[in-house]
Amino acid sequence: MANKINSILFLIALVGMYCFYLFLPPQFVSEGEKRKLAEFPKLTYKSYLNGSWAHSMDDFIDDHFPFRDKFISMADIFHASKGIHLRHQEKIFIGKKDKQFKPNEEDTNHVKMNFKDDFDEAYSGSLLILDGSVYPVGGGSPRMSKYFSAMLNEYASKLSGKGRVFSVVAPLSSAFIPVLKYRKFNKQNKETLLAIKSSLANGAIFCDVFNELDKHGNEKMYFSTDHHWNATGAYYAYVAFCRGAGILPVELNKMEKKIKYNFLGSLYQLTRDPSVKANPDTLVYYVPMVTTTAVRFNENNFEKPIKASVFSHNSSGGNTYLTFLGGDAPLMKITTSVKNGKKAAIVKNSMGNAFCVYLISHYEEIYVIDFRYSNHNLIDLIEKNKINDLIFALGMYGAMSNGTINMMRRLAVNNGVPKYVPPVVASDTNKIVLPVIDTIKIE
Amino acid sequence: MVFSSLTFIYLFLPLALLFHYITPNKFFRNISLTAFSLAFYAWEEPMWIYLMIFTAIFDYYMALLIERWSGNRKAKIIMLITILVNLSLLIFYKYGGFLYDNLSAIAQLPFDRPKNSLPVGISFYTFMVISYIVDVYRGQLKAQKNPLNFLMFISLFQHLVAGPIVRYSQIGEQVDSRTIDWSRFSAGISRFCLGLFKKILIANVAGALVTKYLDAGFNDLSTIEAWFGITMFSVQLYFDFSGYSDMAIGLAKMFGFDFDENFKHPYAAQSVGDFYRRWHISLGKFFRDYVYIPMGGNRKLQLRNIMVVWLLTGIWHGASWNFALWGFYFGSFMIIEKLLENFLKKLPRFLRHTYTLILIIFSRAIFYFVDFSQLKIFVGHLFYSKNPVGAGFTTDLLEHLFWFVLVVLFCIPWDEIYPSDTKVSLDVSRYYQTMKPAINIVMLFLATMLLVNSSYNPFLYTRF
Repeated sequence: MANKINSILFLIALVGMYCFYLFLPPQFVSEGEKRKLAEFPKLTYKSYLNGSWAHSMDDFIDDHFPFRDKFISMADIFHASKGIHLRHQEKIFIGKKDKQFKPNEEDTNHVKMNFKDDFDEAYSGSLLILDGSVYPVGGGSPRMSKYFSAMLNEYASKLSGKGRVFSVVAPLSSAFIPVLKYRKFNKQNKETLLAIKSSLANGAIFCDVFNELDKHGNEKMYFSTDHHWNATGAYYAYVAFCRGAGILPVELNKMEKKIKYNFLGSLYQLTRDPSVKANPDTLVYYVPMVTTTAVRFNENNFEKPIKASVFSHNSSGGNTYLTFLGGDAPLMKITTSVKNGKKAAIVKNSMGNAFCVYLISHYEEIYVIDFRYSNHNLIDLIEKNKINDLIFALGMYGAMSNGTINMMRRLAVNNGVPKYVPPVVASDTNKIVLPVIDTIKIE
Repeated sequence: MVFSSLTFIYLFLPLALLFHYITPNKFFRNISLTAFSLAFYAWEEPMWIYLMIFTAIFDYYMALLIERWSGNRKAKIIMLITILVNLSLLIFYKYGGFLYDNLSAIAQLPFDRPKNSLPVGISFYTFMVISYIVDVYRGQLKAQKNPLNFLMFISLFQHLVAGPIVRYSQIGEQVDSRTIDWSRFSAGISRFCLGLFKKILIANVAGALVTKYLDAGFNDLSTIEAWFGITMFSVQLYFDFSGYSDMAIGLAKMFGFDFDENFKHPYAAQSVGDFYRRWHISLGKFFRDYVYIPMGGNRKLQLRNIMVVWLLTGIWHGASWNFALWGFYFGSFMIIEKLLENFLKKLPRFLRHTYTLILIIFSRAIFYFVDFSQLKIFVGHLFYSKNPVGAGFTTDLLEHLFWFVLVVLFCIPWDEIYPSDTKVSLDVSRYYQTMKPAINIVMLFLATMLLVNSSYNPFLYTRF
C-alpha cells in the first residue's frame, strides 16, 4: 500500500506542476528581479543544432515554473536554516556571474543596447556583509583613473573656451566602513580618485568628492542595502562640486526634508541575506525650493518628449532610489525657475541621480544624459543650447571600466544611431584592461 | 540534459513514463525508451548523437561476428579491432587535445590541434561496449540479436551521461523483457528523490563554498581555510557523483532495470584499498576485470598491476596530467599499504580511518587543480600559510552548522553499523516504509525549491 501511495503521490507532484503551469495565468515579468521572464524560444534548425534552443527552453521552464516567486522566497528560509545567523556578523558574498544582457557583437540590427548597469559592468569583486550592511569592497585602481581622465581631457579640449568640464566621481562605500581593519579601502579609494586629479589637463576641473565625504565619514552616506549613496552622501558631493565651480552650496536646512522607509535595495536583492533584510534603509532626502519642469527623450532623438519630474515622491519599496529623477533616462531636460542664464549638462550613471537634484538651485536648464543609454551627440547638444558646464557625475564602477569610459567617449561622436562599441584596448599592452577592484582579504 | 533540472523532472520524466507505460507491449516500450533516450542525449549537443549511434551499430555487428567465429582466431582479431576502434574514438575525442599539446612540446606536428569538444558520456558508453565485446568473446554473454535492443542498452538515458558503467551481463535480460511492479517503481522513486536531495541540497551547497574558497579567494587562503575548501570539494564531489548515481539507479528501477550500486560510503573507508572498493565501484570493477586480472592480478607482478590500474583510473577522469598524478598518488599508497599490510592491520580502527580520510581529502587537491602551479601554491597553503583567516570564515561555519551535521549523517555507513537483521535496522526500515511517501515528497519539494531559486537572476534596474 505504501508503495502505491508513494508512487501515486510522486506522479501527482510531477503532473500537478504541469497542470498548474497550464491553468495559472501566465507571467511575463518578474517584479522582484526587475526583468522580463524568458520567452518561449523559436525553434530553428540552427538553434537546435547548436544547442541554444535547448538552453533557452531550460530558461523558459525555469522562469515560468508554477509558484516561482513562492519557491524563491522559501529557498531563503532554507538558506537561513542551514546554521546559526548572528545579528552582528561579517561575511563575504560572491555573486554568480550574470548570463543575460550582454551586448551582441554580431547583431547589427538591434535598436536598443542592452548594456548592463555600470555596477554589473565594472564591479568584479566580492561583497562584504557587515552588521546587516553590504559593501562592495575595494577602491579601484590609479591605473584605470588615467583612462577616465584622458576621456575628460578630450572633452575639455573640445570645449575649450566654450564651457567647463567637471569630474565628480563617487568613491565606493567601502571607503567608509566603520571598522578599523577595513581602513585600507579608504586609502585605496583616495589614491584612485586623486589619480584622476593628477591626470586631468586642458582646464578640466577635479571636484574632491572623496575629501568632502571623508570629512563626514562617521555619518551614514551610503545605503546599507543598495549600491548607491544616499541623499546625504550625494549632498557632500554637491558641496565638493560647488567648491570646484566657485558657487555657494544651498544648505540642507533650506530645503524641504522628506522621508521614506523600508527600502531594500539592489544589494539585498543580490545577496538575499537575512541580516540585510532585517536592516532596511530609510531614505531621507531634501527637495530644493525651486520650481522645475522636466521632460525625457528616448535614446536617439528629441522628438516626443515625455513629461518627467526631478523627484518621484511615489517611488517606494525596492524602487525607492527612483525617487531621484524617477530613475534613468537616456536624456532628461530640466527647466528651473532660476534665472541666471547658466546651463549645465550632466553625464551620469545612476549614482549621479541623487547628485543632480541639488543642481536645480544653480542652473536655468539642466540636461541629464545617461551615457549607458543615450545616442545623442553631446557636443552638438552643448553647442546648440549654449551650455556652460559639463559635469561627469558617476560612481567609481563607471569610472573604472573601459566599457563605460568608452560609452562616455562615444557621446562626442554619436549620430543617434545605436551601435555596438567594443571595449577599449590599452595601447601599451595590447590587452583589454580590466577594472581592478579587488576581492577582499582582511589583514 | 541533466537529471537535476526542472526540464528533466517536470517535462521529460513524466512524458517518458507516460509513453513507456501507455501500453504493455514490450516492443513499443523499447522503441519509446530508446527514442526518449536519444532525445535526452540530443537535448543540448545533438551532433554527438551520430557518434553514439555509430558506436552502437558498429559494436552490435562486431559482437555478432565474434560470436559467429567463437573459438576461432578471427574472433580474437575482431575483438581486438573493435576495442581498438572504440578506444581510438575515446582517445581522439577525449585526449586528442591533451596528446597534441604534449607531443607538440617535443616535436613539430604536421597538423593542427583538434578542436572538437568532448562528446557527453563517451567515457561511460565506450567502457560499456568494451565490456560487452570482451564478454561476448569470452563466451560469458550471448550477443544481442536485436539492433534496437542493443541501441537501447547503449543509449539508456538513465546511465548515459554520468554512469554507472552498466554491463550488459547485468541488464541484458531486462533489455529484452522486464517486469515492473509497484514495489520496484516505488523503490525507484525513493532512490531518485534521495539522489536529487544529495545533489541539490548537499553537493550544490558545498559547491558554492568551493567556489568561494578555492576559486575566488584562492591566493589568500589561510591553512584552515584551505583545508575547509578542499574538504568541501570532497563533499561536493562525493554527493554530486553518488547523488547522480542514485538518481540513475532510481530511474532505472522506475523503468524496470536493476543497476548495481556505484558507491558504498567511501568516506568510511579504512584504507586506500577499501576506498577503491567503495568509490565509483562500476569503474573499479571494470578495471579489475578487464585490466588488472588479465595482466596477472595478484598472481603476477601485483604491484605493477596496481599502479597501472590506478594510472588508468586517474587518466579516465580527465585529459590532464593532474589526473594521472592523482592515480599515481593512490597507486603509490595502495602499494605502500600492501607492503605494510600487517602493520596497518594492528592500528586502531579510528587511526586507520583518519589516515585514509586525510589521504582522500588531500588527493582532492590534485583532482581540483588542473594547473600545477596553482596546485603547488595550494598544497603549500595546506601545510603553511602566513595569510590570516579571512573575514567571514567564522560566519560561514556558523551559517552552515546544521548542514554540516546533515553531511556527516549522510557519510556514516549506517547499514554497516546496523546490518539489516538487527532490531534497530528493522525498526527504522518499518518506520521508513510508512513514512517514505512523505519523505520523498519533502525531498522533491526541497530540491525543486532550490532548483527554482537557482534561476533567480535579479537586475539592479528595471529591465522589462
